[in-house]
Amino acid sequence: MKRSWFWTALVATFITVVAFLAPQSVHAAEKTYTIGTDVTFAPFEFANKDNQYVGIDIDLMNAIAKTEGFKVNIKPLGFNAAVQALEAKQIDGVIAGMSITPERQAKFAMSDPYYTSGVVGAAKTGAHIKSLNDLRGKKVAVKTGTASADYVNSIKKKYNLTVVTFDDSNNVYQDVITGNSAACFEDQPVMQYGIATGLALKIFTKPAESGTYGIAIKKGEPELLAKVNAGIKKLKANGQYDKIVAKYLGTGSNKSQKEKNDSTQETDHSFLGLLKTNSGTLMGGLGETLLLTVVAIVCATVVGILIGLLGVIPNKLAQGTATTFIYIFRGLPLMVLALLIYTGIPSLTGTKIPAFVAGIVTLTLNEGAYTAAFVKGGIGSVDKGQMEAARSLGLPWSKAMRRVILPQGIKIMIPSFINQFIITLKDTSILSVIGLLELTQTGKIIIARNMEGFKIWTMVALMYLIIITLLTWLSNWVQKKVNA
Amino acid sequence: MTTRVEMKNVHKQYGNNDVIKGVDLQVQDNEVVVLIGPSGAGKSTVLRMINGLETTTSGSIMIDNVDIAKPGVNINAIREKIGMVFQHFNLFPNMSVRDNITLAPIELGVMDKATANAEADKLLATVGLSEKADEMPNSLSGGQKQRVAIARALAMKPEIMLFDEPTSALDPEMVGDVLAVMRKLARQGMTMVIVTHEMGFAKEVADRVVFFGDGHILEQGTPEQIFDHPNHPRLQTFLNQVLNA
Ligand SMILES: Nc1ncnc2c1ncn2[C@@H]1O[C@H](COP(=O)(O)OP(=O)(O)OP(=O)(O)O)[C@@H](O)[C@H]1O
Ligand SMILES: [Mg+2]
Repeated sequence: MKRSWFWTALVATFITVVAFLAPQSVHAAEKTYTIGTDVTFAPFEFANKDNQYVGIDIDLMNAIAKTEGFKVNIKPLGFNAAVQALEAKQIDGVIAGMSITPERQAKFAMSDPYYTSGVVGAAKTGAHIKSLNDLRGKKVAVKTGTASADYVNSIKKKYNLTVVTFDDSNNVYQDVITGNSAACFEDQPVMQYGIATGLALKIFTKPAESGTYGIAIKKGEPELLAKVNAGIKKLKANGQYDKIVAKYLGTGSNKSQKEKNDSTQETDHSFLGLLKTNSGTLMGGLGETLLLTVVAIVCATVVGILIGLLGVIPNKLAQGTATTFIYIFRGLPLMVLALLIYTGIPSLTGTKIPAFVAGIVTLTLNEGAYTAAFVKGGIGSVDKGQMEAARSLGLPWSKAMRRVILPQGIKIMIPSFINQFIITLKDTSILSVIGLLELTQTGKIIIARNMEGFKIWTMVALMYLIIITLLTWLSNWVQKKVNA
Repeated sequence: MTTRVEMKNVHKQYGNNDVIKGVDLQVQDNEVVVLIGPSGAGKSTVLRMINGLETTTSGSIMIDNVDIAKPGVNINAIREKIGMVFQHFNLFPNMSVRDNITLAPIELGVMDKATANAEADKLLATVGLSEKADEMPNSLSGGQKQRVAIARALAMKPEIMLFDEPTSALDPEMVGDVLAVMRKLARQGMTMVIVTHEMGFAKEVADRVVFFGDGHILEQGTPEQIFDHPNHPRLQTFLNQVLNA
C-alpha cells in the first residue's frame, strides 16, 4: 500500500528536529569562560533596577578575570540550574555564594575560600524571640542547598526544630512574616539586605560560623582553577576585595546597608511606581514567554499530529510507538522532563544544549504527547463506516485518512487544541527551573531585589491573564471561521 | 459464463467464536445474487469479505481468478472494480454531494476534475437527484442519502456491486426510490450481491437466492425454489417469520 506521503512527512520532521537539536558552534578562538550564577541572592548576585546583574560575586568574578587576563561571560541561570549546568559541563564554573562542602569538592574543583559566611536567625519584628532557646519545638524556614540549611540541620535535634525549605529567599522570609514559621536562617549579608529593603524581620542571633564560600570550577580545567585562586589571593592582598564587599554591604550597620541598597533599588515601592520601573523587565520576560509559547505550540502540534497519526495506522509497531510516546511524556512531570533534558542529555552525549532549545524540546514532548492523545482519540471518534466507505472505493489508507477522516477528526479536536495552547502558555512558567528568563523567572528576580512579592506576583498574574484572554479570543474567532 | 467471485471453504473466527463455518459461494457475470437469513447468520461478514473489508481465517476468495489475500495483490485495484453500498450510507459529511461522488475518481487519477464532475451530474440524474449536487449530505433525507451513496459507488465504473441491507435504515416511504435504482442496475446487467430483508424485491430481481444460517449456506436456488418450495426446515421457519411479520 502506498503511504509514502506519510513517511515523507515523518522523516522530514525528524530531520528538522535533529537539525534543530544539533550543537551550536562554540567559539574556540579566545579564552572566554562561561560562569553561571544565581539570580536571586542579593547582595551576592541580583538584578538591579536597570535589570543589570550586580553584586559581590559578579564584581569579584569580573575583577578576577581582569587581573588574571581572561574573559568571562557571566550567565545568570538561577542557583539550581547553574549547578546542574556545571554538572553537565555546559558551563565552566559557578559563583553563587556556594559553601565549600565535601560533596561539592568531590563533584567539582572548588576554589580557595573567598568569603566566610555567618548564618544569622531572624524573626518577625515584635515577636518574642531573643535566642535559639525561644525556638524550641517551633518551625524554621531556610533556602535549599545553602549554608544556612546545613547550619539549621546541625542544630535542629538540639532545639527540636521542624525545618521547612524553599527554593527562593523571598519565600523563606514570607513564611516567617505570615507566621507559618517562627524564624528563618540566612547568611548575614543576605538577611541584612532583605531587612534594609523593608522586610519586617529582626536578627536575633550573632553570626554563627558555618563555612566558607568558594567558586566551583568544572573538573578538568586546572588552568581556570589556578587563575581563580591566584586572582582571589591578589585581590584580597591589594584591598580591592574589601572595596567590593563594602560597595554592597556598607559598614555592616542597617543604616549604611540601606544607603547602599538605594543605589541598586527602585525608590518608589507603590504598585504603580514598581510597575513603571519594572515594566521593561517584565515585558522582556513576557516576550520570552510568548516566543517559547509560539515555538512550542508549533512544534508540539506537528509532533502531536504525527504521533497521533502513528497511533491510528493499522500496524502494531506504529501503534505501540505512539502509545509508548504518549505514556512516557504524558506521565513525566514537566519539571522533571525539563531537568532531565537540560542536564541529562549533555551528560550522555557530551554536547551542550542551550536552555531555550531544552525548553522547547521539553514542551514539544510533553504538550506533543497530550496533543497526540487527543488527535488519536479524535480520529478514533470518527465513525468507522467512513473509513470503510472510503476504502471500498479503492482509496488507499493514507488518502482516505487525509481526505475523509482527518477533516472530520480535526473539527472534533479544535476545542482540545485551544485548550492545549492555553496550557502550553501556562506551562512555560515551569521552565524557570532551567533558568529561562521568561515571565515567571523575571518576577522572581525582581522580587529577590525589592522583596515586594505580592505586588510583583499580581503584575505577573495580570500579564498572564491578559495574554490568555487574547489567546482565547483568537481561538474562538478561528473556531468560528472553521465551523462556518 | 464467467465466474466473477469465487469463495472456497471460507472460515472466519472472532477470537474463539466461529462466525463463518466453511462457505462456498460463486457469483457469475451479470448475475444478481441475494443473501437472506436470520440476524447474526453471517451475511454481512461474507459480503464484506468479497472486497476485503473483512479478512478470512482460512479458505480463499478469488475475484476474476485473483486471490485477494495473496501477498503482493493490490487490494485497492480490486476494490476499484467492486462498488459497495452500506446500510447507514456512510456519506462523507465534510464534502458536498458532488464531491462525495468525484472524490475517488479524482484522487485515484482515473478522471480529471471536469470529466468527474460531468460524470457525477449524469449519475445524479440517473438516481433522480440532479438538483442536490451542491447540497451537503446532512441536508438530505435517508432515501436521498442512499441514492447518493449508490451514485458514489458507481462513480468508479465498478463491474460488481455489493449492497448490505441498503433499505433497512430507511422510512418505508423511501424504500421504493432506492429499490427502483437497484432494479434499473440489475436490468442493465450489473453483477450484484445484495443482502436484504425485502423478500418481494428479492423474488423480483434475484437470479439466485442464498439462505444463510449460523455461518453456513443452508440452501440456495432460484427465487421460485427458495420462496415457493423451501426444503430446509430453518428456511421454512425463517420464511414463515418474515412473511407473516
Ligand atoms: N467485529 C466483530 N467482532 C466479533 N464478532 C463479530 C464482529 N462482527 C460480527 N460479529 C459476529 O459475527 C456474526 C455474524 O455477523 P454478521 O454481521 O455477519 O451477521 P448478519 O447475518 O449480517 O446479521 P444482521 O442481519 O443482523 O445484519 C454475529 O454473531 C456477530 O455477532
Ligand atoms: Mg448484517
